[in-house]
Amino acid sequence: MSKKILIIDDEPDVITYLSTVLKSHDYLPYAIDNAISAMEKVKEIKPDLICLDIMMPRETGITFYTRLKQDKAYKDIPVIIVSGAVAEADFDIKNFVDDKSIPPPDCYVEKPIDVDKFIRTIEKFVLQERR
Amino acid sequence: MARNSSKIEKRTHDRRRLSDLVFHELFQQVPFNVAIIDRDYNIIMANDNFTEYFGDWKGKKCYAVYKKLSKPCAECPSEEVFSTGKAVAADAVGIDQQGRKTHYIGNVFPITEEKGGRVEYVMEMTRSIIETGRLQSEYQILFDRVPCYITVIGEDYRIVRANEAFRENFGDVLGQLCYTVYKRRKTKCPNCPAAKTFRDGKIHNSTQLGTGKRGQEINYAVSTSPLMRGRGSVAHVIEISNDITALRKLEQEVIEAERLGAVGQTVAGLAHSIKNILMGLEGGKYIVSLGLKKNDKEMINKGWDMLERNFEKTTSLVKDFLSFSKGRLPDLKMISPAKLAEEIVELYKDIAAQSGIELKMELDGKIKNAPLDPDGIHTCLTNLVSNAIDACLMGEQRGTEVVIKVSDAGGKLVFAVSDNGSGIDYEIKKKIFTTFFTTKGGAGTGLGLLTTRKIVQEHGGKIMVESEKGKGARFRMEFPRKRLMALYKS
Repeated sequence: MSKKILIIDDEPDVITYLSTVLKSHDYLPYAIDNAISAMEKVKEIKPDLICLDIMMPRETGITFYTRLKQDKAYKDIPVIIVSGAVAEADFDIKNFVDDKSIPPPDCYVEKPIDVDKFIRTIEKFVLQERR
Repeated sequence: MARNSSKIEKRTHDRRRLSDLVFHELFQQVPFNVAIIDRDYNIIMANDNFTEYFGDWKGKKCYAVYKKLSKPCAECPSEEVFSTGKAVAADAVGIDQQGRKTHYIGNVFPITEEKGGRVEYVMEMTRSIIETGRLQSEYQILFDRVPCYITVIGEDYRIVRANEAFRENFGDVLGQLCYTVYKRRKTKCPNCPAAKTFRDGKIHNSTQLGTGKRGQEINYAVSTSPLMRGRGSVAHVIEISNDITALRKLEQEVIEAERLGAVGQTVAGLAHSIKNILMGLEGGKYIVSLGLKKNDKEMINKGWDMLERNFEKTTSLVKDFLSFSKGRLPDLKMISPAKLAEEIVELYKDIAAQSGIELKMELDGKIKNAPLDPDGIHTCLTNLVSNAIDACLMGEQRGTEVVIKVSDAGGKLVFAVSDNGSGIDYEIKKKIFTTFFTTKGGAGTGLGLLTTRKIVQEHGGKIMVESEKGKGARFRMEFPRKRLMALYKS
């Protein structure tokens, strides 16, 4: 069965793009355009991996991430940050969360994405989970 | 009869004796050095003060006693009195009995046998002004050496006095017109602080830019104070200025450093926006080529739409950037602030109503006309109102509203735009005005509030925000009327 991947991004073009890329690589993409109702979506579809944007209106990706990692049932879902806001090297989530027990995200992918690299990254985490 | 005459004689004698006593006492006690001199320069009488001051005088010539000379002085005030019969004021440098140089002033009076007759003697009443002289030279040193520029200006704007610091930087300027000296101008300066002091007799302060004698720019903070003629009009004005050129330079360096910091942030923000657009373009390209490969027309169209949308975004980003980077002075016109706010309400009323948001306007009392840049303030209000509408759309509340309130009190014109939408959390509030920043993902360029702040600052005003997450937001643009007027006049 195809792996379910949840895309959380406020930008419709990003959703379309990532969905198309994932679909053409035999993944099953789901999407939600805001962080506030993202948790419900997680509970509903139980994704194998989450692609998360950071800068979103109303609630940032970081707030969602914190909530996810505090939820025992879902904290093990791998999260890839897909953002144009920061380069991987400059970004340390520890500076943004109060709860120091929150682990850093599994991976960062900078926008605009390199499709091959993006797919390899996804594969790595999904396969890891399979093992 | 004989008895009578002897009585009168006695009375006359008594009176003369009394007047002799009085004369003697007066002669000794007056706080002057008094000497009586005959036509041959002989001192024939002098009081104790004189003796104490100049030493023994008996049988000596006046020039020998006063100045220890062997022949009459070149300019002798006594000679003048002997020839004209009129009293004169004297001012001379002599030598006291210890051989020290002494400066004295006084008067020389004629003594005649009868009124209008030949002057037989002169009386010289002098007094040492060594102490006064010392004070005067101390004052002179103070005047010259204080680390600020001091000039005294007459009613004709000519410089009567100038201290050393001033002369060093502005040249030797006595008798010249102040505006020529301070600013190399041919006409009086507008807003001249000295003119104000001449008019109202009060102290006035201002900062000015002058030109030194080597053509160098001199920034100075000047304070003009009146020199009154008794209780009457102002005869002279003292201008005391502090050179603030170095301070200004430092200020400019700080502004420049801040500007460079802001440029860095702007570039980072611009990179972020471009990355987002690139993501859309890459996405469009990917979908189009996938559609071509699969011969899927629907997919090709979807990808093409994405490409078009993102090219459009590039255009609007560039436009926004250009309008932000345009450094221009506000084009101030006397307009009605209320009318301006009304225009914005008209513009957005329908858009707001379609989203179930009520857009209202409130006027706090009577709003007087103000010098504003209509286009600039229009942009500011547009940005704030469209942000407020977006915030209402993002929030979960029902019955949302956006209010533009204009008030005019305490010398400040205020435009406030408030909403009861989603509100702004603390982290974001910290950077909304300083950073190129958007929470609207790809929908915003992040320049709206930056541009708004820039326009407000160009008007001499400031912008503030009060907000709490989930409780709406209130943006206030404050314009001090004094500054608006100053900008308008300049």
